[in-house]
Amino acid sequence: MTSATQPVSADDPFEDGVSRRLRIAFVGKGGAGKSSIAGTLARLLAAGGEPVVCLDSDPLPGLATSLGIATSDAGIPDEAVEEAPEGERARYRLATGLTSEAAIRRYADTGPDGVRFLQFGKTRGHVAPLMRSQFAFRHIVADIDDTPWHVIGDLPAGTRQPFFGWAGFAHLVLVVAEPAMSSMLSAKRLARLGEGENAPLVAAIANKTRRDDDADLVSQATGLPVWASAPVDPAVREAEHLGVPIIDHAPDSPTVQALRSLLERLHNEERSSP
Amino acid sequence: MKIAVVGKGGVGKTTTASVLARGLSQRGCDVVALDCDTNANLGLSLGVGLETTERLVALRQALDEGEEDHAPSWDEMLARFGADAPDGVRLTTVNRIENMDPGCP
Amino acid sequence: MDIDGGVLVADLEAGLGTLSRLEAGPVDAVVVVVEPTAKSIEVATRAIDLAAEQQLGEVIVVVNRVTNEDDEAHVRSALGGREVIAVPDDPEVIAADRAGVGLLDAAPQSPAVAALMTLTDRLAGAAA
Repeated sequence: MTSATQPVSADDPFEDGVSRRLRIAFVGKGGAGKSSIAGTLARLLAAGGEPVVCLDSDPLPGLATSLGIATSDAGIPDEAVEEAPEGERARYRLATGLTSEAAIRRYADTGPDGVRFLQFGKTRGHVAPLMRSQFAFRHIVADIDDTPWHVIGDLPAGTRQPFFGWAGFAHLVLVVAEPAMSSMLSAKRLARLGEGENAPLVAAIANKTRRDDDADLVSQATGLPVWASAPVDPAVREAEHLGVPIIDHAPDSPTVQALRSLLERLHNEERSSP
Repeated sequence: MKIAVVGKGGVGKTTTASVLARGLSQRGCDVVALDCDTNANLGLSLGVGLETTERLVALRQALDEGEEDHAPSWDEMLARFGADAPDGVRLTTVNRIENMDPGCP
Repeated sequence: MDIDGGVLVADLEAGLGTLSRLEAGPVDAVVVVVEPTAKSIEVATRAIDLAAEQQLGEVIVVVNRVTNEDDEAHVRSALGGREVIAVPDDPEVIAADRAGVGLLDAAPQSPAVAALMTLTDRLAGAAA
């Protein structure tokens, strides 16, 4: 494993045929700060020179704002998928010859610090028009281990999508929880993503803490180890009001410090990457 | 009358719904509070406590997994899959009865 | 779904998924909850448009965690100048959330409850 002070080489992401890239999914109750933290972590990685792709599987906008990318409703173009041959289980597959890596290079947006951003699109109500794009997205994500990027994925709030396989790409699931009963209860439910064969590693991030012992409170209530903790912070709150990235608006905040430390830890932690 | 409370996650839908439900009941309405969230927390905001909140989620799951049968009527559904909340509100996480289209509400 | 003259208050899953599946008729009023953040305003805008498109009855907007007049004005402006019910940022709400208890039990006299009761009065009038 590379040391915490050296970024993983962008030229050689594979060592002994095994990827050393991060594969992280962010889940949690609504409002806990998933998108904000996912976006900030991705920007930190990218600012350190690492190749990163951010996956947005929420049909509503949020993650792009946290990254500093203009919100767009557009999904992956129709050309990316073709009808699958009859008899196959899925209706669509990626266009012939289109690999996961090629699809990301072609269709992902590029944001500040070179972070790549891929979404299946945003809805103003009806999700049906996004169906082909959703297929493309899921196919791209299914093969994402073959690509050279760190992968940071943000899921919609709650327990529906995580338990429907949308976090399947992840080797590490980070559950963002506030020190409030409903948020911690949600985290406890999401902790079950770590059960079963081939399950990802699951840990918590205690966000918007108000007391020194809130990280412990979250840990006890959720049964999860707390790998980072960030306090309530007026500068972060202001960033959310304005709709600007925390890393740009509040670069010296305890939140950003906590996520820098988390990255150090992740570089050392074997199981967060495959 | 049917009222839907919507918004981005974390803005305070559940708190708003809980105060609205109990407030209307205090003013004499016959109120049913329906938690449509897969990740159900309305019980906590209504004041029924953690145990009852969890119990209702487990009941809904049992229904979804076919371990329990749907109730044949609204009243029976509320009796079997609901719980009493303060101020006379009845809380449920289930809105379907036999032969109805699925989905909330 | 027969509730015989009673009132059903449905707390929907976050987002627009459930709202998009509703038809005019089943719902008489939509309470759109928002706070003074860019992200929640974006979702609220879509929810308001969708409710109008689906003819889901009266739309009432509640703005939570309002810290000052600017917050309220900003949200009102972003939502097309419509009337809103402003709920002040209230430590009692935070405390009740932390503890997982009902706000009406923990702090029935709080400013947040008073504001939310204007919503109740508004809808009680409609339910009568």
